[in-house]
Amino acid sequence: MPSPFQQQIQHAIKNESLQSALDKNAANRARARESAYQSLSEPFETLRQRAHRVREDIMGDLPTLLSTFIDNAEAGGFTVHRAADTIEAQGIILNICREHRGTLVAKSKSMVSEEIELNPFLESKGVRVVETDLGEYIVQLRDERPSHIITPAVHLQRSDVGKTFQEKLGIPYTENVSTLTNAARKQLRDTFLKADIGISGVNFGIARSGSLCIVTNEGNGRMVTSLPPVHIALMGQERLVRDLNDLALMLSLLPRSATGQKMTVYTQILNGPRLSTDPDQPQERHLIILDNGRSALRDSSLREALLCIRCGACLNACPVFQEIGGHAYVGNRGKHTPYPGPIGSIVSPGLFGQKTFGHLAQASTLCEACYEACPVKIDLPKLLLRVRAGGLAIPPTAKDRHTPAGLNPLTKLTLRVFTWLSKKGSRFHFAQKALGKLGSLISLKGWIRMPDFTGWGISKDLLQPAKKPFRDLFPSLQKELTIENEKFKKAGDWKKQPRPDDYPQVLQNTTDQFRQELEKLGGHFIPCSPHTLPERIFECIKEQDTQKIFSWKAPSLLPGVLSFLQEHGINIVHQSDPEIKIGLTGAQAGIAETGTLLLTSGKDRPATASLLPPLHLAVLDAKDIHRTLSSALGDPAVTKTSTINLISGPSRTADIEMTLDIGVHGPREVFVFCLGQ
Amino acid sequence: MRKSIQLFITCLPDTFRPSIGKAVLNVFAKIGIEVNFPLEQTCCGQPAFNAGMRRQARKLAIHTIQSFEKSYDPIILPSGSCTAMLRKNYLELFKNDPEWLPRAQRIAQRTYEFTEYLVDKIGVRELGSSYPGPVTYHPSCHLHRSLGIEKQPLLLLSHVKDSTKPDQNLEIKDLPNAEECCGFGGVFSVEQPHISKEMLQRKINHIQETQAPTVVTADTGCLLHIAGGLHRQGKKPRVVHIAEVLSSGS
Repeated sequence: MPSPFQQQIQHAIKNESLQSALDKNAANRARARESAYQSLSEPFETLRQRAHRVREDIMGDLPTLLSTFIDNAEAGGFTVHRAADTIEAQGIILNICREHRGTLVAKSKSMVSEEIELNPFLESKGVRVVETDLGEYIVQLRDERPSHIITPAVHLQRSDVGKTFQEKLGIPYTENVSTLTNAARKQLRDTFLKADIGISGVNFGIARSGSLCIVTNEGNGRMVTSLPPVHIALMGQERLVRDLNDLALMLSLLPRSATGQKMTVYTQILNGPRLSTDPDQPQERHLIILDNGRSALRDSSLREALLCIRCGACLNACPVFQEIGGHAYVGNRGKHTPYPGPIGSIVSPGLFGQKTFGHLAQASTLCEACYEACPVKIDLPKLLLRVRAGGLAIPPTAKDRHTPAGLNPLTKLTLRVFTWLSKKGSRFHFAQKALGKLGSLISLKGWIRMPDFTGWGISKDLLQPAKKPFRDLFPSLQKELTIENEKFKKAGDWKKQPRPDDYPQVLQNTTDQFRQELEKLGGHFIPCSPHTLPERIFECIKEQDTQKIFSWKAPSLLPGVLSFLQEHGINIVHQSDPEIKIGLTGAQAGIAETGTLLLTSGKDRPATASLLPPLHLAVLDAKDIHRTLSSALGDPAVTKTSTINLISGPSRTADIEMTLDIGVHGPREVFVFCLGQ
Repeated sequence: MRKSIQLFITCLPDTFRPSIGKAVLNVFAKIGIEVNFPLEQTCCGQPAFNAGMRRQARKLAIHTIQSFEKSYDPIILPSGSCTAMLRKNYLELFKNDPEWLPRAQRIAQRTYEFTEYLVDKIGVRELGSSYPGPVTYHPSCHLHRSLGIEKQPLLLLSHVKDSTKPDQNLEIKDLPNAEECCGFGGVFSVEQPHISKEMLQRKINHIQETQAPTVVTADTGCLLHIAGGLHRQGKKPRVVHIAEVLSSGS
């Protein structure tokens, strides 16, 4: 009887629609990653080495940094909870729900929530949880588990999604990705507005400021962290950076490695709950920091695995993942792990037990494609080998010190015998001759058909071992060969060519660069002067055939804009309303490299104006355009706010068959009115 | 004084395909380098190491160090994965062992993969070889990713003449997704036979797309794996070691 892991593997290999989905994923992601790396300001190798050192330093100093982080987060108004394990984390979340009489939770993507099996737990306690990331939503409707840490529904084709939506949402069957996305948008918009509690993951905790960074493309992350009155953020305790500089470095690598984007559409930096001056945002923000084996992992030889920033690049690069997909990574009794692929084959045994998950590390050819793709340069092959070596993972006890993980007993026996034979040249030689004799008895025309149970025989024949091994031929060959010195043509000047530095020249003009990048993302750039601005905005509103807009209040926009609009019959409101098609905001800064807008929340600046209406109009002063993210984040005004929103173009998803669709939960169009030049 | 090297033939060519060893000797004869063959050598311990059996791997690593440390000559292996084993994995294996770590380091410092030694160490390009073309080249994972040896084998192949077309160089057909693993992975090929099968099929399909009658590689593990798969399917292309191509001709 094959093990559950082997059953899953064979099941996955036979599943044709899964195979075609996985092939598409591997090809698309590799291409996207490659082209996104081209736009980095420095070579990828330089940046990932730096990122590795940064994360390694953080891991070395983790206990101190964690306590600094917690102090600062509490000072910012977060209620911080530490959970030692799954049971504790579940209990804390349930208590918060009960305290607020919460029965409906809107949830964005969180690997920690998968790890602590939060959904089934809350459902069993009468709390309804709705997944709001499109991929997660699809998977939840199908009562499945995510098959990839970044693209949860990567195993499904559009026809699967069409059938699921027909059955569960009662819409007519369709394979049109936009129609499907729209159906989900409609369903979920209601959930966002009605939810008592929003639960999100955390991409990075920033120790120096005690803030949380959360990235999403669809806008659901922004919804769950800004609409419900209570927000709970879940993070693994290793997901820290020291400051905004570290964060900028990680953000230059994470989206490029994950989805091939220069910047995720929405990058939020949360500094705490609503301030007295904020017009919106939750009143309470809870942060749950989970250990669940991470401290032990940090003390083990697998510590380097904690450097992971969960981009999923190693999954996309792995030829084994490409064959079996995420669902196949199961424990010895068939239990799923939330962490599949190369990193999952290290983290799963590292966190949940070598006995249960150690065998996953055998599913690698050690081809190093994962190592090559990792943006923080984790030596995954080395760690996989340490997992295979069994007791080396967690500080070993005498008993399991040398217990290799998940090895077939026949392989183990063969290798024991082989080692004994190979410990002496003469013994090895004897075995070679014996094998040569045996080979000539059972071979046919130089090849041996091996039985299936050997593994090899399933798909290949074995070359007949030589009757005389090389060592027997060596003495006579050595005599035979005369040294032919004159044939040696020396050409010693050849050296390995360094790769050319063909990174595109940095554009001189940051405004031009901002415009180019914004337009690549599908955003619109409208240059204006202070005089033409009100008119340009009015024209844009008129085209949408609407008279009502949701806007920031006057001092945050140029004086005269709102009064001009009012004079021309536009009804301006300052809170959200489902009828409203247009949100009008200012912007504190722009980032040229990625076409990103930086918006802070605060008095008269509702964060939802850039989120809820399907069209977002933003006024940006050209002098506020910075070249890089780290320069924009360096502006001191930026940190004195409860929420920073970095917006890179319209909301988007590629969760159904990797087909890009614009306008999921956030706006489908973004217009930037740029002043000056 | 004539240059000399120690040949570590490695267990797969030694046992299954001695013609690779013969070809290596031929190439060194062409360039006037003397080859020594320490008879105590057996296996570098890679199979046990990759399987997670470190106790067994240690025994064979110690045996290998003892076999080669008697001479100061460079150690040349016609195998990317075994070179990576000596150069990198021995250091991992003995990282907490004050007795064996320095000895492993000394060995690692003078260990070279065959094409790397020819091109980087002694500056060879042209070996007067000629071989029937066209060919395609499979860059094994350990060679190109683990050791970063990407251009050396191709540089050597680019100077080979086509024996069927006078005065023309050997045509090297681009292998689609060349850097993708063939699914061998040592114990992986028997521990995970079903995944291995799928990966091998992918590689075979790509080889067939090139329509080249010959596949060249520099690792005998990949060679036995790809050749075994092609034979099972009754498919034509033969798979050869790069030394066999370079040793051909005058």
